[in-house]
Amino acid sequence: MIPHRFDYVAPDSLAGCIEALNTAAPAGGDGEDARVLAGGTWVLPEMSRAESRPARLVDLRRAGLGGVTGTGSGLSVGAMCTYAELLASPDVLRHAPLLHTMAEGITGGWALRSQATVGGSAVSARPQSDVPGALVACGAVARAVGPEGERRFPVAELFAAAMHSSLLPGEVLTGFDVPSTAGAGSGYVKLKRGGSSWPIATAAALVRLGDEGVCRQVSLVLGAVTATPLRVDVDAALVGTTPGDDGVREAAHLAGAAVDEPWDDLLAPGSYRAAVAAPIARRALTMALVAARTTIQETRA
Amino acid sequence: MSDPTTTSTVDLTLTVNGERRTAAVDGRALLLDALRDGFGVTGPKSGCRTGDCGACTVRVEGLIAKSCLRLAVAEQGAQVQTLEGLATDGALTPLQSAFWENNAFQCGYCLSGMLFAAEDLLERVPSPTEGQIREAISGNLCRCTGYDAIVDAIASCAGGERPNDRPGGAPA
Repeated sequence: MIPHRFDYVAPDSLAGCIEALNTAAPAGGDGEDARVLAGGTWVLPEMSRAESRPARLVDLRRAGLGGVTGTGSGLSVGAMCTYAELLASPDVLRHAPLLHTMAEGITGGWALRSQATVGGSAVSARPQSDVPGALVACGAVARAVGPEGERRFPVAELFAAAMHSSLLPGEVLTGFDVPSTAGAGSGYVKLKRGGSSWPIATAAALVRLGDEGVCRQVSLVLGAVTATPLRVDVDAALVGTTPGDDGVREAAHLAGAAVDEPWDDLLAPGSYRAAVAAPIARRALTMALVAARTTIQETRA
Repeated sequence: MSDPTTTSTVDLTLTVNGERRTAAVDGRALLLDALRDGFGVTGPKSGCRTGDCGACTVRVEGLIAKSCLRLAVAEQGAQVQTLEGLATDGALTPLQSAFWENNAFQCGYCLSGMLFAAEDLLERVPSPTEGQIREAISGNLCRCTGYDAIVDAIASCAGGERPNDRPGGAPA
């Protein structure tokens, strides 16, 4: 039972949700402000523990924000898209396999895959979540709609601080545009203590190779090791080279050195997170390189 | 906009284990609380109430779900299956029999959730590897630490094979 009294609404349109979010809840409740409910996996436990006391809960379930679809240039991921929907989508495998790999390993078991949402996880901005780092690595653009209309911004800007998104009061995150990474190799590695543990460190890597195996483009983002996703510039170690073990090791070294303010919590101290950043980065880059070489071989065949 | 539920008790109608029923529940109740206190089905257990332990797992509209992460009023009209809805006419399901044969529960608190997680796995992957089994129950915690027996029980049902059909599968 949630201890405080609140109003629950589930409008059947986005406009209705934004209106409900921006008008006062009826008298009789004893909370403050309004809060959006997506999958509920963070919001409801916070309310049960009285850490969050919204006067009104605006459920997005009928607002038409679910699912993932292929666009001409990539993916449109709805804020209410579940991990199960990501996993079932051939468009995700084609355009952003990194998101598929990420969704396969989320914390909480299969029940969470059809319950938790990509948008909800992003707005929660938990340092230990898989979603923030993976979206940043994919170069996703966030879409948010408020009373003043829609704005679009690089998803990295959504993660303002640990547990804080940059959404403005009264705004609803509606989804993401994810550019296609088809042709690039992707790698995703997460270090966790046990089967049901939250990640201690994640690394997402994308590598694009030219015809002769020369690295044209590389992208590396660490998650869970800092309060918000950490993009590391490893171009100097890999771009323009035919990447081998030395180059990958150098890139991983750059990743480890970039962690100057590590995230620290009960799961692992900051010093540990900083220490594991480089090896996790190395594994993700190696995985991405293998995938990129495979892609080239398949194209030639 | 729907009626405010701020202070009220709500008539919640669910199809619980195939039977359409209505119960008066507090508008602040989680689905877990509504099932146990409003509908009187106590198969789903209250454990961590944060979505970690899986003791409250049920099926909502056919998909396994942690009922502590759902607001009861949001599920108006939904089909819900609980532990009570697994066995038909008193006959255990093959998975339930396998858990019995393998001593795969001790205190039994995690059992309901384990059965749903296992059933969900076997529907997706009829012959899972041990790794797939362990991954499938990663959202369900057993504090009696009986995981090996649980994995054995699930593995014994691989390929739809009933544990009682195996040579030497008689109760210990």
